Amino acid sequence: MKRRKRDGPVIAVENDMFEITLSTDDRSTLLSFVNQLSEILAMGPDDPRLRRLFPTAYHENPAHDAEYQGYMRDELTQSRAASIVVMTKVLESTELITASQLHAFMTVLNNLRLVLGTLLDVSEDDFEDDIDEDNPAFGQWQLYGYLGWLLEWTISALSGEDN
Amino acid sequence: MIFIAPSGSQQTEVAEPSVDFATDEVVDLQVPWVVIVWNDPINLMSYVSFVLQKLFGYPKAQADILMMDVHEKGRAVVSNGPREKAEIDVFRLHEHGLWATMQQDT
Repeated sequence: MKRRKRDGPVIAVENDMFEITLSTDDRSTLLSFVNQLSEILAMGPDDPRLRRLFPTAYHENPAHDAEYQGYMRDELTQSRAASIVVMTKVLESTELITASQLHAFMTVLNNLRLVLGTLLDVSEDDFEDDIDEDNPAFGQWQLYGYLGWLLEWTISALSGEDN
Repeated sequence: MIFIAPSGSQQTEVAEPSVDFATDEVVDLQVPWVVIVWNDPINLMSYVSFVLQKLFGYPKAQADILMMDVHEKGRAVVSNGPREKAEIDVFRLHEHGLWATMQQDT
């Protein structure tokens, strides 16, 4: 039988519960970025950094899109805020979490990655490992890579893969 | 959701058009809407596949094919149906940070 690898940051345990094994430092770093995301979201969806969090729905029809955004944007903002509340609780506690909590954790990680990727103007050809230490955005690229790493482990755990 | 106003201008000869009195637009209600996921350089391939499995119940193999279409062809149709359903699907994809749009299938 294949042995389950236990050294990932997100581990599926018994009874459909999950354990997040991030260090206290990692947790507080993530919390600070989640708080920043909250602050940007509170400024409203028109902030250019949030471009990818509030995409166009009707790409062929601006009038319909305006109408759609008129009644869906608030709901999308509230949904993002609700996931952030869950994410914050998850990071502040070391207790086991449910699949639903981990799913919210995953969407917030992805939101952070989308905002950071937008700031870095990431293209298909960019790889965080190729970024030189002299690059002024080196720290942001490292965080971008870290979020991707954590997201991959989260997806694996939620998919029930053995990693 | 209360949004039921028709949209677009596509008509076929067989379907009976309806008129939205607010906009005087004529639309074919029988032409289904398609929901498209577009390629973007940020979302992880594994993430896109996972979201398609979760939201639409695709088996992993099929979700992977759709995800590869998005990646290689730039877009893939991931669901279709009446406008209201398409709007809900687009919303759920947006909730998950995917770049999804909808249009009437022509």
